[in-house]
Amino acid sequence: MPKVIVPIKEEILQAAERRKAMGASGEISQFLAELVDLGFEYRLRQLYRQFEEGKISLGYFAREMGMSVRDLYGALEQRGLPTSNIDIHPRAG
Amino acid sequence: MWTVVFDAGPLITACRFAVEGRLIVDYIAQACYILIAPSVEEEVAVRGAGYPNGLAAGERIVRGDIQVVPLRTRRWTAHLAGCALGDGERDSIELCAQTNAEALVTDDYLAFVTATRLGLRAWMLPDLIVQLVRPGGLSAPMAKMMLEVIRPRYRKGVIEQSMAQLEEVERDAEGHRAD
Repeated sequence: MPKVIVPIKEEILQAAERRKAMGASGEISQFLAELVDLGFEYRLRQLYRQFEEGKISLGYFAREMGMSVRDLYGALEQRGLPTSNIDIHPRAG
Repeated sequence: MWTVVFDAGPLITACRFAVEGRLIVDYIAQACYILIAPSVEEEVAVRGAGYPNGLAAGERIVRGDIQVVPLRTRRWTAHLAGCALGDGERDSIELCAQTNAEALVTDDYLAFVTATRLGLRAWMLPDLIVQLVRPGGLSAPMAKMMLEVIRPRYRKGVIEQSMAQLEEVERDAEGHRAD
């Protein structure tokens, strides 16, 4: 996995350090990497909601995520999410 | 034969799923001319070259089954400026007008609505599959199999509606045969 240096908020670093001091398993860097993954997932879900609502297109969604359309298509498929956002509103039940 | 402009999403789907060992894009390319904008080629075949379907799209571009058509002019820059579209969708809409294509094939709501509001005909990939059965470009059983394999890529109700349309087409064809 590639390693990068990124600035983080003081409170996040303190939380990671306190967590470690209290005996939580794993390294601080591992905890921070998990937060980055969660942030990515959150951003993906947030933009997917906008895509679902028809506010943004698939191409715009990909650009906002910093992904190619093909990579985004794969990411959605992997999560079991449709890559088309056209809805015909089927009857409930 | 019709000429249609494909947006990235349906092109990926058509190059991703196969029926009876043959990619859907190959059945479609036999029944109509497929055009794409250079930005769609970039999204699917160049940046997607690491995927089998990206490679498949690239091979079909080299073979000429999918034609990449450069944009000469942009007719709707101002109209499209306010839309949250990507380059591929924007260029596909422009290309559709430039080439007088029969339809823009897109599975994207915003691109679909924008194209329709600009006076273009927009079809989803399932619509194109059903449409190609009418002139006999595809057989109805083959179209049904295609709709089934691409079902996971669509929201609930879309494929059901296409299946109903397909049955209608079959009924019409039977009616014509009876006449």
